[in-house]
Amino acid sequence: MDFRQLIVTVTAACFLALGLQSTASAALIGTPDYLAAEARAGHLAEIDAALSRADVQAQLVALGVDPADAATRAAALSDAELAEVAAQMQTLPAGGDSFLAVVGIVFVVLIILELTGVTDIFKKI
Amino acid sequence: MAVAALAAVLTLAGLAACTSLDRRVPEDPARELTGVPFFPQTIHQCGPAALATVLGASGLYVTPAELVPLVYLPGRRGSLQAELLAAARGKGRVPWVLAPEFGAVQAELAAGTPVLVLQDLGALGIRRWHFAVVIGHEPADDLVILRSGTQRRLILRRTDFLRTWRAGGNWAAVITPPDRPAATATGGGFVRALADAARHLPPEAVAAGHAAALERWPTDPLVLLANGNDAYAERRLADAIGLYRRLLAGDPGHAAGRNNLASALLDSGCPRIAVQEARQALAALPPGSPLAVPVRDTVARTEAAAGDGGDDASACRAE
Repeated sequence: MDFRQLIVTVTAACFLALGLQSTASAALIGTPDYLAAEARAGHLAEIDAALSRADVQAQLVALGVDPADAATRAAALSDAELAEVAAQMQTLPAGGDSFLAVVGIVFVVLIILELTGVTDIFKKI
Repeated sequence: MAVAALAAVLTLAGLAACTSLDRRVPEDPARELTGVPFFPQTIHQCGPAALATVLGASGLYVTPAELVPLVYLPGRRGSLQAELLAAARGKGRVPWVLAPEFGAVQAELAAGTPVLVLQDLGALGIRRWHFAVVIGHEPADDLVILRSGTQRRLILRRTDFLRTWRAGGNWAAVITPPDRPAATATGGGFVRALADAARHLPPEAVAAGHAAALERWPTDPLVLLANGNDAYAERRLADAIGLYRRLLAGDPGHAAGRNNLASALLDSGCPRIAVQEARQALAALPPGSPLAVPVRDTVARTEAAAGDGGDDASACRAE
């Protein structure tokens, strides 16, 4: 078991323990318990959710998020979001609108125009 | 030659960044939410800026800088949609993702709520994801008005906006306080959205949200169940019984509602009708339901109470 797996397992266990506490009520079916039952069938899915929460946390840290913030952020995601983010953290749209990207595109176009001889703006450099 | 080429390149860059139509459209509160705050973004950080904008409009002043550790993903140089929603929950707000059509955006604007949107401002096949906030729509000229990036009022042709919006799957969301369901929300959908935010909210705020939902969706089964459960939690048993009965009148096969009605009846000193309701709840459960455990427990409890010679108080049959 490598270090990341260890972290994922330990964190999953913590989330699972937290989750099970809330489902202990017996005679009345509380609103969160009802929604959980409606959304997924039983404890197996609960373990999945806990695992993806821990996995998302590890992925956030790998992408440069402070470990303490990563825990808060993984905890704030809903179960549905969690599944999506865990599977596609690298490919989901990440809104950033980097101005540098525009500058980069302009620069590349300028270089192409220069190299193909359309323009001669870098002559004096 | 060089000047012409440079001009062409700059025009291209301008297109990529979306052309603002400087038609001197005057600010008009009739078609534009002029009071929505503006936080100019710094490099890469349109996510925190757009989120601060919609949070501010919901009555919560947070600076983009405070949101950066909650939503910015350094390795992706941007923010994920799911994390913007999650951060809004962390601030005690309820996010609602709109149906992917412009009509839903217009409906939210008409209700006074600015709309967070995901756009692709890329060009030449390069994706450039961007979050902005729609604050107005000018139907006469078909213009869309946004708080976007470093522009306090970006005015786009509707067709241009729709083109950039389509790439991200027409994704749009609004952020509201827990007791103000979004204009385009559904009753059941709002209860689920509120439940996702519940861990960041005091129980009274969740109950206030359920109560607001009941005013707007008086017959929605999930809204009735949630309000019944809140009444039960506050030991307002007569109110809880009334709400569960209203739920069952519209949806007789609702096992959870019937189980909870049985529990509330038992607690009100009515074990005989409680046991009937509990057995009906068990019969209504689909096979393999995770609710079987609590429902069997209710059957056992009510049977024990009824078998102890417990008799129903005269008030039990009143309704």
